[in-house]
Parts: sequence; C-alpha cells; structure tokens
Amino acid sequence: MGDLIQLAVLVAIGYFVGSRIEKKHYRSIKEREKKLLCCPVVTGDDFLEDKPIRVTRLVSGSAVISTDYFKMIAGNLLNLIGGEVSVFESLLDRARREAVLRMKEEATKADIILNLRIETSTIAGRNSVEALAYGTAVYYEK
Amino acid sequence: MKYTPQEIENNVNVSPQSPLRTFSIALAKIAALLFIIYLVIGLLVDIIAPRISIETEKKIGALAGADLKGKKQTEQDLRLQAILDPLVQGDPALPGFNYKVYVQENDQVNALALPAGNIVVFSGLLKEVRSENEMAMILAHELGHFRHRDHLRGMGRQLILLLLVTFFSGGDTTSQRVIMPSITTMQMRFSQRQEKAADQFGLDLLNKTYGHVAGATDFFVKMSKKNDWPKFMYFFSTHPYPGSRIQALTERIQEQGYVAGKAEPLWGALIPSYAAGFSK
Repeated sequence: MGDLIQLAVLVAIGYFVGSRIEKKHYRSIKEREKKLLCCPVVTGDDFLEDKPIRVTRLVSGSAVISTDYFKMIAGNLLNLIGGEVSVFESLLDRARREAVLRMKEEATKADIILNLRIETSTIAGRNSVEALAYGTAVYYEK
Repeated sequence: MKYTPQEIENNVNVSPQSPLRTFSIALAKIAALLFIIYLVIGLLVDIIAPRISIETEKKIGALAGADLKGKKQTEQDLRLQAILDPLVQGDPALPGFNYKVYVQENDQVNALALPAGNIVVFSGLLKEVRSENEMAMILAHELGHFRHRDHLRGMGRQLILLLLVTFFSGGDTTSQRVIMPSITTMQMRFSQRQEKAADQFGLDLLNKTYGHVAGATDFFVKMSKKNDWPKFMYFFSTHPYPGSRIQALTERIQEQGYVAGKAEPLWGALIPSYAAGFSK
C-alpha cells in the first residue's frame, strides 16, 4: 500500500512539474523560432544563390531533454499493451526543435544553412533523449 | 529555388490527445486484462488445488518450508505442540501430514499455515494469548487452512501472478512496481473468505476437542479493541474485520448449540518460560 501511494505521489509530481516545464519550453521554442525565422535552414544543398561565398562552416546544436516520472510510467504501461507511445512525442519534438534552434543561434547572421541533419539518441538509460542538429552555414560576400 | 520561411502552426508530430487521457486509458486496459487473467487463474487454481495429492504437497512443503525442515522444536514449540496434537487427532479428515508448530520471533500478531503441516506462530501473537482455549482456537483455525488447502490456493495464485507479471513486464521493475501492490491487495481480499471458513472449521474442532467453545472469540475481541481501524481499512488487510468474525462465530455457536464452558488458564506454565526465551 505504501509503495502504491509513493508511486502515485511521484507520478502526480511528475505530471504537474513535467507539464509546467513543457509548456514553458514550448513558449520559449515558439518565441525563438519566430525570431530566427529570417535565417533559412534546408535539408538540400541546391539552394545557393548566384553570389560569391565568403565562408562556409559546420554548425551544430544539441539538446538533451529528460522524461518525467509520469511519462516514464505512462510509457511503460503503453509498452505492455502496445500502440502509439504518444507521451514521448512531445519530448522528441522539443529536443529536435531546440537542437535546430541552438544550431541557428550558433550560426548567427548566416545567409543559409544547407544540408540540415537531425540525429537522436537516448541518454542515461532510457530516461533522456538527445537531439543533434547539424548543417553547413553559408555566408555570402557582402 | 526560392526558400520561403514559414512558422510551424499545427504541430503534426505531437498527438493532440492529452497525456493524462492516454495514461488513464492504458491503465484501464491493463487493469481489465489483469483482472481477467486473475479470474481465470483463480478458477484454475481452485480446480487444481484440491486435486493435488498429499505426497505432492509434501514435496512443495519441502521447498516452501525448507528452513523449517529438520528444525528441532524448542521447549516453547513443544508446549504449543501439546495443544495442537489433540486437535489434529480430533479430525480424521485432515490431510495426513506430520503437523508441527514453531514459534518465530516477530512482532506481528499473526500465525501462518505453511505447506505440508507446518504452523508458524509469531511471538507477537503469543504475547496476546491468555488461555489454552484461546491458543487452541488459533491453532484449530490454522488447521482449517490445511483442511481447506487454502495455502496451496493462495500460493498457486501468488506464484502464477508473480510469474505473469514478470513475463509481461520483461522483468522491468517500474511496471512491476505498478502492478504488484495492486495484485497483493486483490489477493488479500480473496483470502478473507478463506479466513472466515477457517474460523468456522476451528470453532467446530475446538468444540469437538474440548467439549465446549470457551475462548473461541477471545482473541478476536482483543484484536477489535486493539485495532480500532475503521472497517473499510480491512479491505487492505489479510484478515477480515474482527467484529464481523466475532459475529460470525457467535452466530455459529448459537446455531449449533455449543456450550460456553470455562477457559483453562494452563498458559501460566508457558508464559514465564516464554518470557525467558525471548528476553535475550
């Protein structure tokens, strides 16, 4: 019985704290995405304009987002019965977008970022997810 | 090619369903699944348990009570054995085990019926008991579990459920932590019915052995005074609400016309040695 109460408390804390942090993170992501909208990022390499290039360089951004106790338990339950593990979707979405944002923040004033790639991996057992975004920043001659 | 920056408006990568809803649905599905499995296993165990031969049970008993095997009974144990033996002789229908009683130091007020005729009485319970008849009632109650083969049923269910949980969760401790406590609660609820049946058996055997039923309800009366938990708390307990046990016993005493009799305070000889034995 004590175990069950302890578990319920942890799940409740996980849910309330976790969703607060998530909401806050999404607000920050949306705000920064709007701010950095001017710098184009593409997955291809044929978006170059016909201008002399001053410099190109590798830019990368990585973000590690941790799950919370609620998501972990919910994910485990869903593992038992199968189906979409939707509780983890927001986690991955946040990690990917945050990584791209950090990459863009690194490439300030780049004219375009080509060949964007995103990779994900798990960290700390299965409790955290890392997203790594990298690409080639291109700066034209002014 | 022209690049047009665009803001993400509808995020297709995150399901719109609230995580709380996802969680509740998953929990409900698993609970339903476990409940069905539990019912089916319960049915199977109830069918199989009475058919397990005494020989097989002795083998199981050797596994389950391995630490009791060949254990020499202390002076204390032998005094309890002296109360137990006439009770065993009183019912020829009891499975033919070599019934042995052992005292174990533990503050819990409880006694256990282990497979193959081993009874363990916790020292916490001994401290509460005041008369031979009261002790006889408790031992007769445990004999009732052997007679009804309750420990086999209980063990079968727990064993199979534990196996199932381990199988389903792939040994993942987090899901085991979710599932196991709820199973034990269900398991306990189930055994309350068995406890009441064992009470009835114990009462009949007490009357048969002593010719009266003195001391039959003493222990439960004591317990009901001691534990003034609200009645609903007993849902989570292994044993039924003492009040309802007393009532059931009293009803049976009236129904069968059992004589009240007088309790024998033979216990006096045991208490000093008991106290000496455990004061170490």
